Amino acid sequence: MIMTHPGLPASWGMAVIAGMVVLTLWAVVSPLPGSAGATVYNLTRAPLLRGLVRYLVSSPRILLVLKLVFVALFLLVIYAGLFGNQIPERNIATVLTWNIWWAGLIFSVFFLGTAWCAVCPWDAMAQWLVRRRLWKRAEPNNSLNLRVPRMLRNTWPALLMFIALTWLELGLGITTDPYATAVVALLMVVLATTSLAIYERNAFCRFFCPVGRTVGFYSQLAPVELRPIDTQTCADCTSLACYHGNEETEPCPTWLVMGRLKQNSYCTSCGNCVRSCPHDNVAWRLRSPSVEAVQDARPRHDEAWFMIGLLALTGFHGLSMMPFWETWMSNVARVLNDSGQLLLSFTVGMFGSMAAVVAVYALFVLFTRWLVGRETPFRRQFATLAFVSLPLAFAYHMAHNLNHLVREGVGVGKVFENPLGTGMAPLSMMEKHARHFEMLISQDALFAIQAGLMVFGFWIAVQIVRHRGRKLLLAEGVRVGGGWRLTPMLGFVVLMTAFHLWLLSQPMIMRM
Amino acid sequence: MKHIRHFLLSVVLLLLAAPALAHHVLGRPAYSLNEDSNTPPSMQVETQIGNYFVTYMVFPAFPRPGEPGRINLYATHMDSGEPFTGKVRFTVRDDAWFGGAEPELLGVQPPDDNVFRQGFVFSEEGDYVIRAEFEDEGEPYLIDFPLRIGQPSPVGPITIAGVALLLVLVAANLFQRKRLQRDRIRAAHRDERASAASGEGAP
Repeated sequence: MIMTHPGLPASWGMAVIAGMVVLTLWAVVSPLPGSAGATVYNLTRAPLLRGLVRYLVSSPRILLVLKLVFVALFLLVIYAGLFGNQIPERNIATVLTWNIWWAGLIFSVFFLGTAWCAVCPWDAMAQWLVRRRLWKRAEPNNSLNLRVPRMLRNTWPALLMFIALTWLELGLGITTDPYATAVVALLMVVLATTSLAIYERNAFCRFFCPVGRTVGFYSQLAPVELRPIDTQTCADCTSLACYHGNEETEPCPTWLVMGRLKQNSYCTSCGNCVRSCPHDNVAWRLRSPSVEAVQDARPRHDEAWFMIGLLALTGFHGLSMMPFWETWMSNVARVLNDSGQLLLSFTVGMFGSMAAVVAVYALFVLFTRWLVGRETPFRRQFATLAFVSLPLAFAYHMAHNLNHLVREGVGVGKVFENPLGTGMAPLSMMEKHARHFEMLISQDALFAIQAGLMVFGFWIAVQIVRHRGRKLLLAEGVRVGGGWRLTPMLGFVVLMTAFHLWLLSQPMIMRM
Repeated sequence: MKHIRHFLLSVVLLLLAAPALAHHVLGRPAYSLNEDSNTPPSMQVETQIGNYFVTYMVFPAFPRPGEPGRINLYATHMDSGEPFTGKVRFTVRDDAWFGGAEPELLGVQPPDDNVFRQGFVFSEEGDYVIRAEFEDEGEPYLIDFPLRIGQPSPVGPITIAGVALLLVLVAANLFQRKRLQRDRIRAAHRDERASAASGEGAP
C-alpha cells in the first residue's frame, strides 16, 4: 500500500495564483527599473554580533570542530549503511542522508548561503588525507597540482554528476537502500580525494561536485555574502593574499579574487580569504536575496545550462513522486518492452522531462528574441535570461523538500538512539499512519510556508526578467519603455510556477 | 438462577473473546513469522513485463543461510486485471562476479489463491538471482529478481575505497617526489652551467 502526503489545498493555490496575477500585471504595466546600488549591511559592524562574527570567521578552530562533528556523522552513516539493519526507516544512513541532510541542505542555503561547503565532510576528509594537516597550510601540499583540462573547467561535469545523482536517487532508489547510500558516500570521498591529489586547489569543489554547484548557484539568492569591506583597499592590494593565501592559510580553494568577486556561486565559505587578508578587509554581509541573480552575476553559457538543469531536475523530483508517475512509467515500459526495475523507462522519462523544460525555455527565449531584437546572439540571450530559472527552482525545491522534512523527519530521534537499527522491524502500517499525522509543524503552517515560497520565487523571477531584460533591450537599442517586449519571458515564469503549483497540489508519495 | 445467568454470561464473553486471545493472524498461525508471515516484507519488488504486472516478495525480508524462506509471486494481466492461472517455474543462479554456475531449479508452482509460493533454504550467504518463468499466449515471460542471503558483505566497498585511496595517495606522493628530485637536479645543472659560463667554477 502506498502512503501519500496531501497536496496544497485549492484555497492556498488560489491565493498564490492571485499573487501571480497581481505581480504579472504590475510587471507588464510599470516601467522597467534602472540599475540600482544594492543595500548591504556589514555584519562586523553589528553592535552585538561584531565580536562573535569576527571570532567565528577568523578562528580556524571553530571550523575544525564543526568539520570533526560532520565527519563523525558521515563515518557513522557509512558504518551504519554497511553494517546496520537494511530497513531504510530504521537505519541512520538513509534517514540522516536523505530525510534530513538532502532535504534540509536547501534551507541552509536560504539562510547561510554556501556555509555547508565550509564543513563538507567529503572535502574535509580529502584535505586531511592529501594535505595531512588538520587546518594549517601544507607546503608542499602533497598534490600533483596539475591544471584541470580546459574542457573540464566549467559546470558541465557538475551538471552531469547531478543528473547521475538524481538517477541514482530516484531511478535506482538509493534513498531507501542504506548499503547503497554508504557506497555512494564512500565513492564521493574517493572522488574528492583523487581530485585533490591530482589537480591544483579544490578542483572537485569548483568543477565536479554536484552538491557544491547546486548550493553555489542557489546561494545567489541567499541573504548573506562574503565580500570586501572596502573595494578600494582591494584595488590597491598587491599581495592578493585572498587568492594566494599566506604562510598559515591555504589559498582560495576555488580561484576567487575577493576584489573582483560578484557572485556566491563558487565561494565555499571556507574563510581562507578572511584569515589571510593582510588588511582585514573581508567580512560577511547581509544583503537583499535577489540582488545577485537580478544584476550582479555575469551570464555564462555553461552556468546557464546548469541553472536550467536545476529547474528541470527539481521539477522532475516532484513529478517522480506523484502517484500517477507509476502509471506513466508503466505505459512507457509497455512500449519499450522494459522489465525489472523499469530503469530504461525511468531513464527515458527523466531525460524526456528534462528535455521538455529545456525546449520550453528555449522556445520562450526565441519568442522574447523575436520581440526584443536579433542583434544580440541567441546564445547570449539564452545565458542572460537563464537566471530566471534559479528562483523558480529554488522556491519549488524548498516547498517540495519542506514536505519531506516536516512529514518524514519525525522519527529522527529514534534513529539516533539506535543508529544501526539493530533488532528493529519495518514500520508497521499503524506506525506509518501515526507518523503521517505527527508533523514537525502544523499542516496549515506548512501550506502557508509553501504558498509563500512559491510567491517568493515568482517575485524574484519577475524581477530578474525586468532587470536582465532591460539590459538586453538596451543592447538592442530599444528604448527602455518597451517592457512589454519581455512578456514571453514573463509567460515562461508564469508557466513554470503554475506547473510547480500543480505539482505541489498533488498528493506526494511518502518516501519511507 | 442468578448464578446460572452469571455463568452463561461468562461463557458467552469467553467465547467472544477467544479468537482475540488466540495467536492467529488472519486465520494463519503466527508461530513461524519468518517464512509464513502476513506482515509486509521489506523486500518487495513490483514490476511489469509484457502484459503482466508482477509483484515479488521475499519472506523473511532479509533471509539468512540455513533458514527457510519463501518467495511469493503475484502476476495479474495489465488490461483485464485477471490473475495468471498457469504454472510458474522458479530457478536460482549465483550472482557473484565470477559465479558461472548453471541455474538450479527451485520448483514449479501452480497458483494457490492467485499466489505462486516457492520455499527455499540456502546453505551459503551471497547474492543470488531468482528467475520466475511462465508462458502466456505462446509468449515466454522471464523475470529476474535479486536475492541477498545474509548480511551484505561490508568488506567489499570499504576495501575497494581504501585501496583506491591508498593507490591515489601513494602514486601522487611518488610522482611528486620524482618531480621535486628532477627540479632539484635541473636547478643544480643550471647553476653549474651558469657558474661555468661566468668562469667562477673553473680551476
